[in-house]
Amino acid sequence: MSIPLVPELLRKHLADLADSDMRIDGRGRFESRDISLEVGILPRAEGSARVQMGNTIVLAGVKFQLMTPYPDRPNQGGLMCSAEVRPVAGRSWEPGPPSPQSIELGRVVDRGIRESGCIDVDELCIIPGERAWQVILDVFAVSDDGNLFDAFALAGIAALRSAIVPAERFEIGEDYPLPVSKTPTMCSYHRVGGRYVLDASKKEELGGDERIHITLGDDGHVHSLQKGLKGIFTTAEFEEIMEHAIERCAELRDLVNNAIEK
Amino acid sequence: MGGYGDVQMIDEKGLRMDGRKPSECRPIEIETGVVPVADGSARVRWGLNDVIAAVYGPMEAHPRKIQRQDRAVLDVRYNMAPFSTTDRIRPGFNRRSREISKVTAEALESVVLLELYPRSKIRVEIEVLCAEAGTRCAGITAASAALAHAGIPMTDLVVSVASGKVNGVVVCDLNKEEDNYGEADLPMGILPNSGELVFLQMDGDLSQEDFKIAWDYNMEAASHIHEIMARALKGGDA
Repeated sequence: MSIPLVPELLRKHLADLADSDMRIDGRGRFESRDISLEVGILPRAEGSARVQMGNTIVLAGVKFQLMTPYPDRPNQGGLMCSAEVRPVAGRSWEPGPPSPQSIELGRVVDRGIRESGCIDVDELCIIPGERAWQVILDVFAVSDDGNLFDAFALAGIAALRSAIVPAERFEIGEDYPLPVSKTPTMCSYHRVGGRYVLDASKKEELGGDERIHITLGDDGHVHSLQKGLKGIFTTAEFEEIMEHAIERCAELRDLVNNAIEK
Repeated sequence: MGGYGDVQMIDEKGLRMDGRKPSECRPIEIETGVVPVADGSARVRWGLNDVIAAVYGPMEAHPRKIQRQDRAVLDVRYNMAPFSTTDRIRPGFNRRSREISKVTAEALESVVLLELYPRSKIRVEIEVLCAEAGTRCAGITAASAALAHAGIPMTDLVVSVASGKVNGVVVCDLNKEEDNYGEADLPMGILPNSGELVFLQMDGDLSQEDFKIAWDYNMEAASHIHEIMARALKGGDA
């Protein structure tokens, strides 16, 4: 169990820093940590990616299974996103069944990808009513130093964009790249020392308040929002971060495109 | 095992499908510090195996009922990531991972100086990111490197390696095909400085003579892997 006293001291320190518009690691308010993104790093996965943002490291792997389409949607395959933060990723992640935090993480990442419509589930159908592909995206935290949300979302979409449908292994034709028509990306803002900052570190998460996650599609369309943790925010505050997210999500999209082209 | 004897895995020159001699290991690389937020960590890449281990602690053991008044408890978990194998693995523990966690914990408990940290807990997390055969050996090896990297006092490192038998020939460090179609598998956990053992399993069919050869192959391989591990722990790359 963490000792509640330390976050109180940390919270005060972060508030003092915020008074002079500073952050604990010297970054600007809307400055992200350096991001490295690699694809094709897991030989047993049909698509994969690794994202490192400071000391936060995550992996994403795509696997395919054959499924029988659901009776009410005989022409559709399936897409499933699953996030499990295992205790390897940090001392605050306890062993046991998935915690509410890790379930929230998986569901928010899932919604951003699913609702963007980047995967056309109709295209995953092989024989209507009989056989279809199920695409399973698993995101995995190696090291949690804050903002797993953005890292998971980035690794997730990059892994999907790099995925090859293993048709040969299932004896239904030749392998082909999974069609992914859009590149939704996520930006997360945490309230630290009274104002919102981009890409909070673990310390900022511990000594901060509520967070807002924004997933935007190719044309800036909003695909998923989530406000997490206790806190109150204003329309003006939201407008400010949304304006920033439009710019930042486009930069992240370029990052994915560059990694895929390599 | 057995019943697959018609799969030819040793050529006329006595070499294996991947070109190795019977006594030869797959390439192994070990690096430390791969989980920056952990107190110690290591990654073992061994053939296609890619395994990480992270150590947290010593820390307060809770709930209190798990505390031991005279020593630390070692909490070891072995897990395979969903994307680590050809067919996706459903998240969550299964009987296999529970057994491997248990024997790994018992191997490591034999060398960690637990009595130095009464009432505390040391967490060891082993995650298989990509599996080829021999993941339990790679896991034990990674875990002992991660414990050393965390500065946890131990009487010795643990190096784990398996030998087995394919097409009637004893071979060291089985790859995936050899593991699937082979006739025997003998994983051991060896203390490289003393040559003592802390982990032993075996399944299959080995004559007394072949068993002795497999045992000796493992001992030789352990000293080779120990060199790589020592280099990684002293700060050089694998």
